[in-house]
Amino acid sequence: MESKPPDIQLRRLDDYRWEVPQTGKMRTRGLIYATWDMLPDIRTDQSIQQVANVATLPGIEGASLAMPDIHWGYGFPIGGVAAFNLTEGVISPGGVGYDINCGVRLLRSNLLRQEAEPILEDLVDALFRNIPSGLGSRRKDLKLTTPALRQVLRLGAAWAVKNGFGTADDLLHIEAGGQIPGADADLVSDKALDRGRDQLGTLGSGNHFVEVGYVQEIFDEAIARAFGLFPQQITVIIHTGSRGLGHQVCDDYIKIMMKAAAKYNIELPDRQLCCAPITSPEGEQYLAAMAAAANFAFTNRQLITHWVRESFEQVWPAGPRALGLELVYDVAHNIAKIETHTINQVTKKVCVHRKGATRAFAPHHPEVPEAYREVGQPVLIPGDMGRYSYVLVGTPQAMVETFGSTCHGAGRLLSRHQALKAAKGRSILQELAAKGIVVRGASRGTIAEEIPEAYKDVDNVVEVVQGAGISRKVAKLHPLGVIKG
Amino acid sequence: MVNNSDPPKSKSGYRQLAHTADLGFRLYGESLADIFVNAAHALYGVMTDRRRIRGLECREVVVEAPDSGALLVEWLNQLLYLFDTTGFLGREVEVQEITSQRLQARLRGEPLDEERHQLNTGIKAATYHNLEVKETAAGWQATIILDI
Repeated sequence: MESKPPDIQLRRLDDYRWEVPQTGKMRTRGLIYATWDMLPDIRTDQSIQQVANVATLPGIEGASLAMPDIHWGYGFPIGGVAAFNLTEGVISPGGVGYDINCGVRLLRSNLLRQEAEPILEDLVDALFRNIPSGLGSRRKDLKLTTPALRQVLRLGAAWAVKNGFGTADDLLHIEAGGQIPGADADLVSDKALDRGRDQLGTLGSGNHFVEVGYVQEIFDEAIARAFGLFPQQITVIIHTGSRGLGHQVCDDYIKIMMKAAAKYNIELPDRQLCCAPITSPEGEQYLAAMAAAANFAFTNRQLITHWVRESFEQVWPAGPRALGLELVYDVAHNIAKIETHTINQVTKKVCVHRKGATRAFAPHHPEVPEAYREVGQPVLIPGDMGRYSYVLVGTPQAMVETFGSTCHGAGRLLSRHQALKAAKGRSILQELAAKGIVVRGASRGTIAEEIPEAYKDVDNVVEVVQGAGISRKVAKLHPLGVIKG
Repeated sequence: MVNNSDPPKSKSGYRQLAHTADLGFRLYGESLADIFVNAAHALYGVMTDRRRIRGLECREVVVEAPDSGALLVEWLNQLLYLFDTTGFLGREVEVQEITSQRLQARLRGEPLDEERHQLNTGIKAATYHNLEVKETAAGWQATIILDI
């Protein structure tokens, strides 16, 4: 950050693929998905160096990958994907991030855009009232005891359903069923538990949001039908993660991993890459604590879904059945998971780190919900609050190249400071209202930081993953109402 | 991305560094204790308008770490923990004891009140990236990046 990053030579493989050649201590090559036009932006920070740094870690399998929404992150780049074998490979909290299982969930409805538009303001107000958002958001109506919180960490979204927040059918449409196995609440510190106690069912701040939108365009009718999507249909996107509990787990384990990296003689080009062998006690403990935080995040999005449904019922009193607010899918974009992949014709278990990258499994993969088994896993890519978001689907090519992974969003273009400057003297709320988008936020400052022009156009990102064949466009969603942190 | 010009001599306070995804601060002070005081002010300044925080309550904080950089991360993350669990926002910080491995401080402030305090950006964590705490000819200087 202090000096201009060195220009790493990239080798063009085709229109969408750039290789970071294996040099120095790299154990493998880097592979960046991007167009020529995107490279100047990508080169403004040290993210390409970070792709190369990840390639130096022990036990890496395949290439050190970066999706087109790549930007600088702590240790691993955001948009980074890296898989490590279970014999000598490592696990790193920096490969997951502070917001463990930050992710996106999409709900569909039976409502049409023209039916919802007259009640839109009321609906957004109800959402804003019912879902605490912004700095220090907590729920006054749900503060968990330690035993209940420990159950959340173990059971994930199933805890919510068991307690009346949602249906068993919801669980069938969440990555890993909303419950990462192997979670151990004993490995989550009291400090983390304290931070999470009254944060379940809250959005937090930053780029997290709940967005009501409609299906603006369908690219693949058969797959859209399988996902239950049709033109002009009202949809809801929920984007949030594991709140303070997850941040504390990450912080706790970074300290443990800094010691572990030294203990296991792992040479680190950047100390935020601190890690431990997956099979070491430290590695196993982090995986179990991370799984617990991930389960907290799945539960968080499940509870928010409950209050989204309640908000719709408050302003559209036709009853839940008529509304048909069903879960299309819920997918994590900050996580590390043990998965089985085929690399150079050898099938083996690996630990896949996805940091700002989304799982995108192909048709017929056993982890794709039965309802979508024939078409592939839904992938949810939120854009900025003024433009559009995408529903994609996983492809066989992603299984071959990217450990079944794709991009996760638009990526920032302006710093928060620049965005605030750009928004100065303008009423962002009015500008968006003029475009037919109702926005409610806990903070004017956060809304200014999140202005549409602060983000890259998600279109460009999606064109790359589609062009490279690692996922395919299914539908485009246009925002109508947004609540922001 | 960052203004590379050298700071004037004997600077005190904090300055925001431009950073696309997150927020960084360059901190200045006459002593190591100043760095920790200014870091706390910078942190609370991201979250709210500090001028509206009243010094109604006290909190004692003790943190330990292997070196002064890690101590700075630990300190700010402890303040975020205090905020997440009790809503506490600090107005004044008094460093009672400080070495490169241990800090004992007392904060005066009050819990977040949505009616009174402006709600700005939440902070996930203070990070180790580009972390630096050093003594220069012009006093103490530190760099810290916050994940938001």
